[in-house]
Amino acid sequence: MVLQCTFAISGRKKLCGKTEQKVMKHIEAIDVNAYYGDNHVLKNIDIAIKENTVTAFIGPSGCGKSTFLRTLNRMNDYIDVFHLEGKVLVEGNDIYKKKVNVEELRQKIGMVFQKPNPFPKTIFENVAYGLRIHGEKDKKKIEEVVEQSLVKAALWNEVKDKLKKSAFGLSGGQQQRLCIARTLAVEPSIILMDEPASALDPISTAKIEELINELKQNYTIIIVTHNMQQASRVSDRTAFFYMGELVEFGKTADIFTNPTKKQTENYISGRFG
Amino acid sequence: MSNLEIELQALKENLLEMMELVSKQIALCSEATITGDLAIAKQVVENESRVNALELTMDKDCENILALHNPVATDLRFVLAVLNITSDLERIGDNAKSIAAFLIKNSKKLDKNYIDKYGIAEMYETSISMLTCLSEALKKDDAELARKIFKEDKVLNKKNKNGPKVAVALVEADPKQAKLIVRLLAVVNKLERVGDLATNIAEEVVFHVEAKVLKHNKDKS
Amino acid sequence: MSNLKRNRRIDKAFKLVGIACTLFGLLMLVIFIGNILVDGLQRIDWDFLTNLPSRKAEKSGILTAWTGTAWILALTAMIAIPLGVAAGIYLEEYGKKNRITAMVEVNIANLAGVPSIIYGLLGLEVFGRLMNLGASLLAGAFTLAILILPILIVATREALKAVPNSLREASYAIGATKWQTIWHQILPAAGGGILTGVILSMSRAMGETAPLIVIGALAYVPFVPKSPMDEFTVLPMQIFNWVSRPQHEFLVNGAAAIIILLLITFIMNGIAVYLRNKWQKKIMW
Repeated sequence: MVLQCTFAISGRKKLCGKTEQKVMKHIEAIDVNAYYGDNHVLKNIDIAIKENTVTAFIGPSGCGKSTFLRTLNRMNDYIDVFHLEGKVLVEGNDIYKKKVNVEELRQKIGMVFQKPNPFPKTIFENVAYGLRIHGEKDKKKIEEVVEQSLVKAALWNEVKDKLKKSAFGLSGGQQQRLCIARTLAVEPSIILMDEPASALDPISTAKIEELINELKQNYTIIIVTHNMQQASRVSDRTAFFYMGELVEFGKTADIFTNPTKKQTENYISGRFG
Repeated sequence: MSNLEIELQALKENLLEMMELVSKQIALCSEATITGDLAIAKQVVENESRVNALELTMDKDCENILALHNPVATDLRFVLAVLNITSDLERIGDNAKSIAAFLIKNSKKLDKNYIDKYGIAEMYETSISMLTCLSEALKKDDAELARKIFKEDKVLNKKNKNGPKVAVALVEADPKQAKLIVRLLAVVNKLERVGDLATNIAEEVVFHVEAKVLKHNKDKS
Repeated sequence: MSNLKRNRRIDKAFKLVGIACTLFGLLMLVIFIGNILVDGLQRIDWDFLTNLPSRKAEKSGILTAWTGTAWILALTAMIAIPLGVAAGIYLEEYGKKNRITAMVEVNIANLAGVPSIIYGLLGLEVFGRLMNLGASLLAGAFTLAILILPILIVATREALKAVPNSLREASYAIGATKWQTIWHQILPAAGGGILTGVILSMSRAMGETAPLIVIGALAYVPFVPKSPMDEFTVLPMQIFNWVSRPQHEFLVNGAAAIIILLLITFIMNGIAVYLRNKWQKKIMW
C-alpha cells in the first residue's frame, strides 16, 4: 500500500510517500558494519545518496572509503574473509539478499578503477565486451552502442579511426575514458569511481572531471578521492570517512566552508591525514 | 565550461546587476531631489533591501568559490575584487537611501537656488556618469575605462570643498533656513563620498585586470 | 686496498667466473652435439627416415619409431591437455584457500618430481592389466598423460597467476560471471603461458623411455601402428635398442636417430618460445 500525504509549507507543496522516497534515495546504507575476518573495517554506516548527484567520499588512507564503495556493487564478495551486517539498498532493494543476481546488479552499478584497466583487446572489443556477455548478438546494435558510449565518454573523436587497434596504444587518460565508455555501454544507472584520476596527469584529470560533470545529468555518481580539491570541484555532496566511521555527510559547499565536526575541519584544512 | 567558469560568470552577472541597481538609485535620487517627487524618494528607500540582499548573496558566493575551487591568478583577483566592490556598492546604496530619507523628511520641494549654488545637479550628473563608466568597465574588464573616472572625481571633490563657503553665504542671506542649508551640505558630503567609493571600485577593476594596486597610491596611472 | 678498489675487483672477478661457467656449459654442449653430428649426420637420408627397423644396420630405419612417437604425442596431448588445463583452472580460479586445497597443491608439486619409472609401474598395472589395454599406444598415452599432468597443472596455474587481478576485477565489475571472465579474458591472456607449458610437457613426454619400457613397449616393431590399440615403439627406445648393440653400424644409426630426436625437441621448444613471444606482444602488461 502506498502511503501518500501532501502538506503545504510556506507556499511549496511537498509530496511524501513510499514511492517518492524510493526514487529520491538511489542508494542507501542502513547501519552497515563490515569485517575482514576479525577486523572491524566499517562501523555503523548510515548514508542515503540521491539520484543524479555526484557524491565524493573523502578521508585519509585506510579509513574505509574504498571498502565501502565496493560494498555497493558487491565487489568485496571475492574476498573470502569479508562479511557485512546491515542493509545496502539500491532503489529500495537489499542487494545482499541471497536471491539477488549479482551480475545484474553490476550491470546497473558500474565501476571505474584507480589504475586504468582496459582489456587486452581492441578498443571496439573493450566497449563491446559488456554487451556481448549480457547476450547481445545484433551486430548493428553493438556498433551503435559502442559509438554512443565512446561519445558519452568524450573519446569518440580521438579513437573513431582506430577502433580495431589495441587499447594499450592509448594514453593513460584515454584508457581511463575507455574504461568509462566500457561501463556506460551496459547502461548502468549508478557509476562508482575509485580514485579514477589519481594515476593521471593534470590535463587528463581535468578531462575526467569535465566528463563527470556531464554524466551527472543522467547517472548517479559516487567518487572516492584522496584529493580534496577534486572533491570540492566536482561533487554536490561530500562524505568524510575516518577510521571506518562516517564522520560527516552533507552539501559540499557546507562541508568546505563550515563543517559541523571539528574532525572534518581538521582533515580538510590539512591538519592531519 | 568548467564549474569554476560557470560560477564566475554567475558572480559577474550578479555584480553587474548590483551595479545597475545602485546607479539607478543615484539617478532616482537625482530626479527626486530636483523635481521634489517624494514617490520616487520612497522607491529608493524600498530598493535598498534588494541592494543589501545582493551584497549578502555575493559574499556567500565568493566564499563558496574560494573554498570549493581555489581560483588563482586573474580568477582569484576577480573574486577578491568582487568582495570589495560589493561592499563599496552597498555603501553607495546606503548614501542614496540617506539622501532619499532626508528628502522624504523634508517633504517640501527644495529651493532651486540652493541646488544651483551647491552645484548639486552637476554632482549628481558626475556621479551618474562615473557609475555608468564603471558599469561599462566592469562589463568589458576594461581597466583604461575605469581609470577615466579618477579625473571626474576631482569635480566632486571641488564642489565638496566649496560646500562650507557656499553654506555660510546662504545662511547669511537667509538665516531662517539655516537648518535646511546645513542638511543640504550633508547631501553634498554624501555625493562626494559616492565619488570616493566609485574611485575605490575603479581601483579594484584595475587590480583585477592588471594586478596593479592603486590603493593609497597618489599616482593612478 | 680501499673498499672501492676491492669491490671493483670482486665485481670483475665475479664477471669472469660467470663467463667461465657459461663457456664451460656451452663447450660441453658443443662437444656433445658435435660428437653426435660427426657420428651420425651422414647416415641420415630418406631411406633412414622411411625404413622399418631390420637386423641389417644399413637397411634399418626409424619409420616405426617416429610414427610411434607421433602417435604417442597425439594421444597423450588429447588426454592430458584438457585434463591438466581444466584442473589448473579449477584449482587456481575456483578453489577456496583452505587447508585441503593447500594439501592438494603440495601433492601435485610432489608428483612432478616422482621418478618416471614409478609411473610406468602404475601404468602397467592400471592401464595395461586392469583396464586391459595391454602394451598398446593407448596404455602408453595414458601413462605419459599422468606423468606430465602435474607439470601441466603447475604451468597452467602459474600462467593464470600471472594474469593481473585488475583484469578479473574489470570483468566482474561489468557483470560477467566467473566462467565468462575465465573464458573471455583470463584464458586468452594466460594463453601464452599455458601454451608454453603444454609444449614443454609434450617435449618431456616425447623423451620418456622408462615408463614405456615398463608397460611393455617393444624395441623391435616391424610395422607402423594403425590404431590406438596397436603395439608400438618410440624414438628413445629405438635409440636405446641400437646403442646397446655391439656393431658399429648400429651405433651410427643410434647417433643419427639421436640427431632426429634432438631436432624435434629443438623445433618444439623453438615453437614454444616463438608462440610465447607472439602472445606476449599481444598482451603487453
